[in-house]
Amino acid sequence: MSLAELQKLLADALVEHDSIARSPAWALAAAGAIGGSARMKPVEQLDVYREQFWWRHVACVAEDYPALVALMGQQPFEALVAEYLDAHPPADFLLRNLGAGLAEFVDARRPDDPLLADLARVEWAFIDAFDAADAPPLDPNAVAAIPADAWPAARLVLHPSLQRLRLAHPAHEVRAAFHRAPREPLARVSPAATHLVVYRDARELRLHQQTLDALASSMLDRLAAGEPLGQAADALAESGRGEEVQAQIGAWFTRWAALGWISRVVVD
Amino acid sequence: MPSFRARHHIPDLGVGVGFRPKHAADVLDRGGAADVRWYEVISENFMSPWPAARGPGGGRPAANLARLRAGYTVIPHGVAMSIGSVAPLDDEYLARLRVLVDELDPPYFTDHACFCRASGLDLHDLLPLPYTKEALAHVTERVKRVQDAIERPFALENVSSYLSYRESEMPEWEFLAELAERADCGLLFDVNNVFVSAYNHGFDPAEFIDAIPADRVVQIHLAGHQDRGAYLLDNHGDHVRREVWALYERAIRRVGAVSTLIEWDENIPAFDVLAREAAIAAQHRDRALDPAQAVAMEVVP
Repeated sequence: MSLAELQKLLADALVEHDSIARSPAWALAAAGAIGGSARMKPVEQLDVYREQFWWRHVACVAEDYPALVALMGQQPFEALVAEYLDAHPPADFLLRNLGAGLAEFVDARRPDDPLLADLARVEWAFIDAFDAADAPPLDPNAVAAIPADAWPAARLVLHPSLQRLRLAHPAHEVRAAFHRAPREPLARVSPAATHLVVYRDARELRLHQQTLDALASSMLDRLAAGEPLGQAADALAESGRGEEVQAQIGAWFTRWAALGWISRVVVD
Repeated sequence: MPSFRARHHIPDLGVGVGFRPKHAADVLDRGGAADVRWYEVISENFMSPWPAARGPGGGRPAANLARLRAGYTVIPHGVAMSIGSVAPLDDEYLARLRVLVDELDPPYFTDHACFCRASGLDLHDLLPLPYTKEALAHVTERVKRVQDAIERPFALENVSSYLSYRESEMPEWEFLAELAERADCGLLFDVNNVFVSAYNHGFDPAEFIDAIPADRVVQIHLAGHQDRGAYLLDNHGDHVRREVWALYERAIRRVGAVSTLIEWDENIPAFDVLAREAAIAAQHRDRALDPAQAVAMEVVP
């Protein structure tokens, strides 16, 4: 067999869900390529790698979603991940990215229980915030130097760690409860529209979560999309809450800057 | 011709351990341990999570790495290059690795003589190669390309394996020696892997050690393994076994004073346990290098 044929044989064997050790077809295929040993048949040797493939990948996803494991239970979670890996076989050289599509998969696979996908979104947001690129903190002198009439055209550059989520449940409360008491039974939460920000502080590099009201969340979304401050405020005003926006915008800026969410103000 | 180590000024760093996040406070805030002279990092744990063109990752991993680099020599050790795969070498992988290697400025970088990628999948395992002339030519060419891309001495590690191929035309040690010679690369010699593979395939580990080209060995790995009855599993989850210490001394006597690393990736113990394992390695190393100064050994079973 050529190098290419041997590598395909191994890849085909590894993605088999169940043990191949008792499969006559795999016994035949393995016998033609694998040497075997005094203690193990060729197909049993191949099965060692198959077992490791599933153990490693399921464990990797479970490590990224510990609260989801706790909410679902170990066995149902592992069954779900096995289906996920069938739909999204590992194709990135970084194991770090293996679970990136789980929330979307859970959304489609478990429409009966949307809390699961929301919790998955929250847990993945923490992964992305953890190792997102660094950025220098906002320079107060640079902000002070911006002329008043330049602010409407100013664009805000948000910190790369900032993850903005719109959820149908306060799933972040489930995650927080899990991390407070990992061995305690995990309570579910009722549906409630939730606007969540997950971010990393620049000094301690710790991860935090913060809920926003719908108006602030919309403003942040528009700023994240690169809209100038004035345009974003005008767009929200069209929804009939112009006075509220004008009253809040200064406080939002001050608070978001203090939290490290804003890295830079760009004035054209 | 001077040896590979001499030509590339490969230093003897003494004994080090694999840096794991669990030990960050012990190493970075509390000064590590005197018996741990250097650190190895898994390259993929510190490579950017996104394309290199977008820039490096940040946060705690990047901050830890910068602090580690400020105090120690840090060697990047990859697990996903897939040097032996028939799939094309991944340029994006090499670009991100280049960023990391340039940042760490190590005397060399390492990966494994194996394949990880096949049928469009990243299998995230160190899958053994058949020891054939075809594989030898294929891997030789790719090692040269990797060295050209990273512009730094490169060493490949012998993997532990649980299967062998009927197609193999030579023993593993002959394949590695020939590969290192043809590609002009170094070898990272994992003594525990030799022991595990020797048990699993029924060869004499001493024969492997005695055949390895000593001048190309830039580093030695030591780790624990798990006895699963019909086979040994290289799980890096325990103390180095007594038989492996003996093989380590044999290897040191053969290759001389080269950097040695303790790997521990499962059931990761407290840092002081790891540091003590490093101290034991240093004792074995000293004894192997200078039998006249042999000291009473306490070997953890």
